Amino acid sequence: MKNSCLKLALAAVALTATVSAAYADWPNDRPIQMIVAFAPGGSTDVMARAIEPFLEKELGADIVIENRPGASGEIAYTALSKAKADGYTFSYINTPGFLSMQVQRKLGYDPKSIKPIARIVDDPTAIVVPAASEIKTLKDFVEAAKANPGAVSYGSSGVGTDDHLAIILLGSATGATFTHIPFNGAGETRTAVLGAQVTGGGLNISEFAGNDTSGLRMIAHFGTERSPQLPDVPTAKESGFDVEMTSERGVAAPRDVPDDITQKFSDAMKRVLDDPEFQKQAQQLALPLAYLSGPDWEAQMPTRLERFQKIWNETPWVQ
Amino acid sequence: MAFLDVLMLGFSEAFTPTNLLFCFIGALLGTLIGVLPGIGPTATVAILLPVTFFLPPLGALIMLAGIFYGAQYGGSTTAILVNLPGEASAVVTAIDGYQMARKGRAGAALAIAALGSFFAGTVATIGLAVAGPTLSSFALSFGPAEYVALCIFGLLAATILAHGSVVKAIGMVCLGLVLGMVGIDVNSGATRLTFGSTELYDGIDFVVIAVGLFGVAEIASNLEFKEARGVLQSTIGRLWPTRQEFKESWAAVLRGTAVGTILGVLPGGGATLSAFSAYSVEKKISKTPEKFGHGAIAGVAGPEAANNAGAQSSFIPLLTLGIPSNSIMAMMLGAMTIHGITPGPSVIQNQPELFWGLVASMWLGNAMLLVINLPLIGIWVRLLKVPYRLLYPAILLFCCIGVYSVNNRGFDVALVILFGILGYVLRKAKCEAGPLLLGFVLGPLLETNLRRALLLSQGDPLVFVERPISAVLLLITAGMLLTLILPAIRKGRKEAFEASED
Repeated sequence: MKNSCLKLALAAVALTATVSAAYADWPNDRPIQMIVAFAPGGSTDVMARAIEPFLEKELGADIVIENRPGASGEIAYTALSKAKADGYTFSYINTPGFLSMQVQRKLGYDPKSIKPIARIVDDPTAIVVPAASEIKTLKDFVEAAKANPGAVSYGSSGVGTDDHLAIILLGSATGATFTHIPFNGAGETRTAVLGAQVTGGGLNISEFAGNDTSGLRMIAHFGTERSPQLPDVPTAKESGFDVEMTSERGVAAPRDVPDDITQKFSDAMKRVLDDPEFQKQAQQLALPLAYLSGPDWEAQMPTRLERFQKIWNETPWVQ
Repeated sequence: MAFLDVLMLGFSEAFTPTNLLFCFIGALLGTLIGVLPGIGPTATVAILLPVTFFLPPLGALIMLAGIFYGAQYGGSTTAILVNLPGEASAVVTAIDGYQMARKGRAGAALAIAALGSFFAGTVATIGLAVAGPTLSSFALSFGPAEYVALCIFGLLAATILAHGSVVKAIGMVCLGLVLGMVGIDVNSGATRLTFGSTELYDGIDFVVIAVGLFGVAEIASNLEFKEARGVLQSTIGRLWPTRQEFKESWAAVLRGTAVGTILGVLPGGGATLSAFSAYSVEKKISKTPEKFGHGAIAGVAGPEAANNAGAQSSFIPLLTLGIPSNSIMAMMLGAMTIHGITPGPSVIQNQPELFWGLVASMWLGNAMLLVINLPLIGIWVRLLKVPYRLLYPAILLFCCIGVYSVNNRGFDVALVILFGILGYVLRKAKCEAGPLLLGFVLGPLLETNLRRALLLSQGDPLVFVERPISAVLLLITAGMLLTLILPAIRKGRKEAFEASED
């Protein structure tokens, strides 16, 4: 309700203010709207709300978080692409979803109309098994699947998510067959692994280490190097499997927002990530902070997109 | 004795002036948002989350928890007074509660709902304290196969829910199942029944259907008559329940509490499932089942106790295993992690003052809610005296705001209008919305779990009878079906004929 009142107010301001006047005072003539593409309580949402007060301080502006969940983020990204390019609307974006949806379906917006402006975290995908499981290493996991095709089940947080793509890659790299069981989000996956309903499941480092880990064991993760949160867990590469998969989160704006505004926003975000107070909170949430400036982040995307296109051509994950 | 020691520790934490204040703020806020239809506790908790960073951890959690169970109390108020369930768990309360209000017993229904909720809250809190860890390991053994058995049991119960024709009830369940299919299929990622609209990719929100079918349709059908009929005409009557009403409710409250406490522990759909189940149980064992749907007080007492017990016991998997069973618990989990608390077995060992403080505050919060709510009953009931021409536009406005705020989009408000029309047509056809909603809630749960169970067993259907919990549930269902099938068809036919006559 608070949101809707604010939106009314925003609309009124937008109607009366001229565009040129809006740029001059950025970011002070009205609150900045930050869209979160997922429901309240999810890991992106909690991160956004942890950042909010720090970012407000750095920018000297008011920030309003608006959840626009739906269609794995497409609804939020569509709203962002249609938003006025005046520097008052930003959205959190997540990979691989932002990229993989471009491969798997026709979208209601043009991905090029969205400009990534700062990466915040780079969170490796990992495989987790029940603590009592006989599977101790990634090698055991693959061997078990090879010995008894289909008997090894793997829970993911949904079709087309990083967990799902990781198991497709692992399967095609090793020739092993896993039974993929999609769940609705990481919470359900965790529950299924804890209850040993599935042989193993895919969770991100922050989803694992940010919660109680008793009853669970992480056998390997798909990051490029060992994670500072969990230095004892080997990467898939070390274990002899050439598979990489991470989930990145960051902020994006409509393409036409002037560069000086996105630059200022990106710099403010960097200062937040360098703030020791914020880092303390990030540590509690087990967020693997990995700042990248917008241009650097965007430069990485075509390679990733190509990789997803290749997986899709071999094994389309949506029928 | 160790149990008493920790409980003392909990109360000494919860009884500090600041924590009492947070508890009160949470309970009061919860009641208010519960009364306003559509504005849910999830949105409120989300908005308040950044504020809690600057509060002491225990105080923050106490306040957020208060909002959640406070909303359970408040939610039943609109369900009873204007037939507008604000959330899934209040749907069954609306069935008999609203009929009581029309007969001038709104005060009694509200009082029983509040007292039943308080009792259930107390028991569930004790349950959380005594058996929390044991119960949560039981919840973990609930896999896909067990959910399938539970859903089949629930869908069978849906036919008991209706008080008219069995055929129509089955038809409504099927319509609910179809509506529940809308959206992206979890297993294949393919879109179903979305007609190319991205807004439908995640299916239809429960609030949209409930507000449309119950709220808007109720107003539409009341508009057929001049102001003389409907709620307004009903005299308010005695506020307090009569001795007879107490007698009819206390056993229902006990049974509802038991059902709610057990089902609330299960991950996913706990509070809703418990309210529906409690209603079915009451109707099944009642000596006067024909009264249900026409203002049976047991039909208010049982589900109200069950949904509050369920709300309370859904904290069990969160606090003992770190598993959130619904979106609000997910917000609580987020709030805890931000404060550096990792919910799970380690909390009870390492931060007992926090765990037991929260448990004790829940009981205090329930007591406060009783104190807040009982005197307010008189005021709420007076709302019924507001003329329709003022009350209806106000209700519609709150519905629109509430529905809009769920996903922040106008599309949902448009859908509410469609469902309002559907609801009106269904009323004219004497079809009930209750079974439809149960089909809508249970259908997707049944489908995904059936497919998961068969994927896991590699296509072997014997998995449902090999796993003990699911085998027992299926056995009970089969038994219920057998005892039910002959008399139900006979009775259903009789009632269907009666219905077609008038």
